[in-house]
Amino acid sequence: MDVFVELKKILEELLDLEDMELTPETLLIQDLGAESIDLLELAVTINSRFKIAVKDDEIFLTRFRLYFTDAEKQGKDSVHYLTGRYPFLGEDRIAEIMAHIKEGPQLKMKDLISYVIYRSRGV
Amino acid sequence: MNLHFSGNRALVLGGTCELALLLAHAMIESNLFPILTYRDDKGLCAIGEAVGSFQGRYATCYLNLGDRDSLDSVFTQIGDDLNFLVDFAQGNYESLIAGADEDSIYSYFMENISFRAEVLKMAGRAMLKKRKGRLVYISSAAASRPNPGQGFYAAAKLASEALYRNMGLELGGRGVTTVILRPGYIDAGRGRIYLQKQDRKILKMTPIKRAITGEEIVQTILFLLSDSAAGINATEICMDGGSTYVK
Repeated sequence: MDVFVELKKILEELLDLEDMELTPETLLIQDLGAESIDLLELAVTINSRFKIAVKDDEIFLTRFRLYFTDAEKQGKDSVHYLTGRYPFLGEDRIAEIMAHIKEGPQLKMKDLISYVIYRSRGV
Repeated sequence: MNLHFSGNRALVLGGTCELALLLAHAMIESNLFPILTYRDDKGLCAIGEAVGSFQGRYATCYLNLGDRDSLDSVFTQIGDDLNFLVDFAQGNYESLIAGADEDSIYSYFMENISFRAEVLKMAGRAMLKKRKGRLVYISSAAASRPNPGQGFYAAAKLASEALYRNMGLELGGRGVTTVILRPGYIDAGRGRIYLQKQDRKILKMTPIKRAITGEEIVQTILFLLSDSAAGINATEICMDGGSTYVK
């Protein structure tokens, strides 16, 4: 199963998207206007279609900003600290999110793909 | 009145109390499939005695308030195939607030509020997959009009009502709705014991001068589960014969 294709199908169904090109770089909240109820429904659908356990806070990076602040307050290396919290994201992606965090929620399609692949390994 | 139901699988929490067993019987007669929770062998026997003759038309599963393993096991057993939930589960802890045992305070609220929130989360997610579901919480008129000693009971009921109400607000647009029923003096279960202790004198104070029967409660729950009641969402209904508004 191609994870991106399947996620694309799910998002198109849930958000009733028409004629919108989805790519791994698509931002779920800014570009697609996904709201909290949409994300909840997305989580249960991902759980059902991919047969993986889904933790909403984790997959949607809900506490990313909070962890970022914690790391700064504790004088820790932010990228290293956040990689521990989000092991399905690489250090490059963590750094990318940190660089754009002031622009709003940075959750992208590619983060969902990473999460599904990570959880599918039974981690 | 012929009631129509969207789906047939109903998880009944606290499935061994007298009202739950009456409901299970009525559900089976209405072609619904109750899944009754029990927490000990005595409860399992009570279920067998009440509906054992309907083999294959109901199921049972172990659930103990506060025991998360038992909750996981319930949802592993029923999977996502859940259309209804009726919640009778409620621990009893009567104490004056100033006289309460500290450990009991924490464990009571954990079992009767926090754990219920977790049950709701799991049921809500299962129903969300189908974009259809109906949850009925059996509260009590004592939630808003408690007697001395019922402070913890009332607090747990009100908090649980708030959880159910909000779930109806949050998921109503996705076809998952909730309603809360607040029975008053009931001639069944703990209610009957209370009435017997009071020598039933308290009933003279109620406008209808009698207790609500178990059958009346059961028929009301069936109605609330039916498509006819689909517009009733995220609210509470008082079924106390009018006692709430007696001066």
